[in-house]
Amino acid sequence: MKRLKGLRVVSISAAVALSLLAAAYVQEPIRAARQDDAASHADGSSAKDSGAASYAAHCAICHGDQREGILPAFPPLIGINHRMTDDKIADLIHVGKGRMPGFPNLQDGELAALLHFITSAEPESLAAGSGAKSKETSGLAETGDTLFQQNCAFCHGRDAMGGETGPDLTQSKLVTEDRTGEKITQVIREGRPDNKMPGFNLSNHEINGIIAFIRAREAAATAHPGGRRGVAVADLQTGNVQAGKQYFDGAGGCVKCHSPSGDLAGVATRFEGLQLEERMLYPRNAKSTVTVKLASGETISGILAYRDEFTIALRDSNGIYRSWPISRVRFTVNSPVDAHVLLFNKYTDEDIHNLMAYLQTLR
Amino acid sequence: MKLLKDSLLSIVAATCLCIPCAPSLYTQDLENAQLLNPSPDSWPLYHGDYSGRRHIHLTQITPQNVGNLTLAWAFQTNQNAQIKSSPLLVDGILYFTVPENIWAVDARSGHMIWHYNRPSKGEHIGHRGVAMYKGWLFFTTPDAHLISLDAKDGRVRWDKIIADASRGYWSTMAPLVVKNHVIAGVGGDLDNLPGYLRAFDPDSGATQWQWDVTPPAGTPNTATGGMTWMTGTYDPELSLLYWGTGNPTPVLNGTVRPGDNAHTCSIVALNPDDGKLAWSFSVSPHDTHDWDAVETPVLVDGEFHGQQHKMLMQTSRNGYFFVLDRTNGKSLLTVPYGPVNWALGIDPQGRPIPNPAKEPAPDGRLVAPDEGGLTNYRAPSFDPNAGLFIVDAHPSYSIYFAKPADGAYGWAGADYGLWGKGVIEAIDYQTGKVRWSHEVGAGGSGAGVMTTDSGLTITGDAYGNLLALATNDGKTLWHVGTGSPMQSSPISYELDGRQYIITSSGGVLFAWALPEGMVAAKRLATERR
Repeated sequence: MKRLKGLRVVSISAAVALSLLAAAYVQEPIRAARQDDAASHADGSSAKDSGAASYAAHCAICHGDQREGILPAFPPLIGINHRMTDDKIADLIHVGKGRMPGFPNLQDGELAALLHFITSAEPESLAAGSGAKSKETSGLAETGDTLFQQNCAFCHGRDAMGGETGPDLTQSKLVTEDRTGEKITQVIREGRPDNKMPGFNLSNHEINGIIAFIRAREAAATAHPGGRRGVAVADLQTGNVQAGKQYFDGAGGCVKCHSPSGDLAGVATRFEGLQLEERMLYPRNAKSTVTVKLASGETISGILAYRDEFTIALRDSNGIYRSWPISRVRFTVNSPVDAHVLLFNKYTDEDIHNLMAYLQTLR
Repeated sequence: MKLLKDSLLSIVAATCLCIPCAPSLYTQDLENAQLLNPSPDSWPLYHGDYSGRRHIHLTQITPQNVGNLTLAWAFQTNQNAQIKSSPLLVDGILYFTVPENIWAVDARSGHMIWHYNRPSKGEHIGHRGVAMYKGWLFFTTPDAHLISLDAKDGRVRWDKIIADASRGYWSTMAPLVVKNHVIAGVGGDLDNLPGYLRAFDPDSGATQWQWDVTPPAGTPNTATGGMTWMTGTYDPELSLLYWGTGNPTPVLNGTVRPGDNAHTCSIVALNPDDGKLAWSFSVSPHDTHDWDAVETPVLVDGEFHGQQHKMLMQTSRNGYFFVLDRTNGKSLLTVPYGPVNWALGIDPQGRPIPNPAKEPAPDGRLVAPDEGGLTNYRAPSFDPNAGLFIVDAHPSYSIYFAKPADGAYGWAGADYGLWGKGVIEAIDYQTGKVRWSHEVGAGGSGAGVMTTDSGLTITGDAYGNLLALATNDGKTLWHVGTGSPMQSSPISYELDGRQYIITSSGGVLFAWALPEGMVAAKRLATERR
C-alpha cells in the first residue's frame, strides 16, 4: 500500500504540472509594425527601376500609381517638366507645400532616379480617364484633353468647368471672346500671378490642343446645360447702378474709405464677375496695421503679420519681422477691413446686386 | 481505479485553481457592461460613452494645477493626413485612425504596437475612428466597406460592404456598438444617393437591419441624401438609438424636391434591434445649404424650466441650438447660437422656417452661416455642473448660387465662403443664452471640446494652440503651441493613477499629464489622510 501511496503522490504532482502547462498561455511574439501587403504601391514596377520604386514608396499614395493624381485634392504629375525645372521639382520634394510633406532625405542617386521617373514619358492611358467625354473631341482636342488633365484639371476641373480654385473656363469672358486663341495662349504661357495661376512652358501645338479641348467643352456645355455649375459674369447683372451709387455714398458707408476715382478707379477692369463681388463683400488680402508699445515706452508700428491670443507680430517700415509676447506689451490694431464684416448683417441682397452694378461701371 | 480518480480530480482541481491566477488569460476585451458604464481607465467608444456629453469625471487635473501640464509622450504617424479621429483607450492600448489607416499604440510608452493600412479609392476627407467590441475592432473605409480586425494585431477577420462606392458613397464615421449590433452609415453628396444606416452582426458581419432615410432615387418630387455621416448616441433605458442625418440632394437646388424632405437634416430615434423609426425631428426642413444635422445628439437628464426631462441637445450646422425631449422628439427650445439670416422664424413644432428668398439664386444670396456651418463634425461638450453646452462655433457669411442650368444632380449650384471666425461658446442650455465666449481665431477652429468635473474646458484655436479654459468663465488657464490646429476632439482617461488628456495636431498624437512627481505626491498625500 505504501508503494501505491507514493505512486499517487507522483501522479498527482504530474497531473498538477500538466495542468499548469496546459493552462500556460504561449505569448505570441509582439509583431513589429505590420504593413499589409496591399499597401505596397509598386503596382508591378520592377524593383530594379529605383525611380519607380522611390515614387511608389513616397509619392504614389497621393499622386496616384500612374502619376495621374487624385483630383481634386492631389495634382497629377504627368507633364510636370512643362511647368517646372528639375531643380524646382527637387526643391518642392525636399520642402513640401501645403498638404504635401517635405522629404529632405531624398538625395543623390535616389533623388536623380525619382526625378527621372517623374519627368519621364506619359503613360498612354491618361486621356482615357476622361471617359465618355473623349468621344466628343477631335484628334487635336484629344491631345489637348490629355494635356488639360495633366496640367489644368486640378484647378479648372476635369471638364474645364471650374475646380477647386480655378474658374469655369467655359463661361470665362476671355475664353469665349478670344476667337484667334492669342489671349488664351498668353494666359497659359504667363499664368496669372495675382490669382496663383502658374505659367506653362508648352509648345504652340500643345496649346492649340488645349484650346481645342476647351472649345469642345464649351460646345458640350451649351448642348447639355445640366452640367454647368459656375457663376457667369452675366449672372451678376441684376442690380441697379443708381441705387448702387446711392448705397455706396450713403447707407453702405463705402465712401468713408473708398473713392470711385481713387482706389476704386478701374476696379471693374481689374476684376469681373464673382471675383469682383467676393472682393467687394470681403477683400481677403486687405492688410491691418498695428502699433505696439513696449514697457520702455518705445512704440513701433507696422503691418500686422501675426496675431493669436499669446503673440503679436508686425513687419516694420524696413520690412523687418518683429514679434512680442502679448503679456509684455500694449498694442492697438487698425483693421479697416472690419467695416466689411460689420455690413454683413445689414445688406439686403438687393443692396449687394445694386452695389455690383455700380462697381461694374468703374472701368 | 482510485488512483486514476485521484489523478483526474487533481488535474481538474489544479486547472480550476490555475485559471484565475494565470496571467495567460488576460484579454483585451470590451463587453457591453463596459460600454454602458465605462471605467475611468477607458475610452471605449468614439464619444467616450453613449451620452455624447464628452464630459469626464476625472479631477486629478484641475484649474489650479493645469498650468503644470506637461507632455508625457507624442506619437508621430509620419504621414500627411490630419488626425480627425477620437482614439479609443481600452486595456492600456490606444486605437486611432486616419483614412485607410489604424494605429494601435501602447498608452504607457507611446510606442506603436501595430499599424494597419488598406489603400482605397473614394473620398479621403477624414476619419472619425474605430469601434470596438469584445476583442474586435470595426473600421469604415473611404470606399464604404466595414472591416473587422483583431485588436491584438490588426489582422482582418472580415470585410463587408456598407455601400457601393462606385455610385458615389463613402464612409468616414466611427461605427457605434449597441448590444450585439455594429451600426455604420454612409456619406456622399456629389450624387443623388439615398442615405441609410445599417446594423451588422459583430461576429459574422451579416446585415441585421437597414433604415433608409429617403425613398429610392428617382421617386418623383422627393429628395435623396440624408447621409448618416457621424456617430450617433444611445439611451439604454429607453432603448433608443439617436442619429443625425445629412442634407437632401440635389444639394442647392430645392425646386425638384418640394416639401420638408422628410428625415433629411433631421435627428431621428430608432429601435436599435430592428432599425424601426420611433420619431423624427426636422432640424432644417427643405434645406438648400448643405447643412447636415449630424452633429452629436447629446443626451442629458436634468431640469428644464423646473421640470425633469430626458433631453437631447444639438448645436446644428444650420446655426440653431435644439433641445428636444428624447422620449418623443418634441421640441423644448430652438434658438440661434450665432449669426443666421436664412429663416423667417420658428414654427410651432420648434423647426426653423426657411426663407425662400435665401435659397440659392442665379445672382447669389448672402447667407449666414457658410456652407461649413456654424459648427461641424468637431464635438461639443455638455457640463452638467455648470449647465453649459459648450461648442466651437464658426460665425460666417457666404454667397450661394443656383440656376436652372446647374441642373438637379449632386451639388447643382455653387457656394463661396466670404468670411468666418472661430468662437468657443458656452450656452446655457435652458435659455440658449451664451454665458461666455472665447475667440479662437480668423477663419475658424476645427477643434472639438471636452469638459471635466474639475471645471476645465479643453479645446484648441485656429493657430495650433491647445487651450485649457476655465469652464466657469472661459479664461485661458494653460496653453501650448502644437504646430498645427487641432482637427479632432480631445479625450481623457486615468491610467496607472495618472490622468491623461489626448489631443492631436496634424499627424501627431499628444498625451498630456501632470508631472509624475506631482501625481505621486498627490497620491501619497491622499493615502496619508
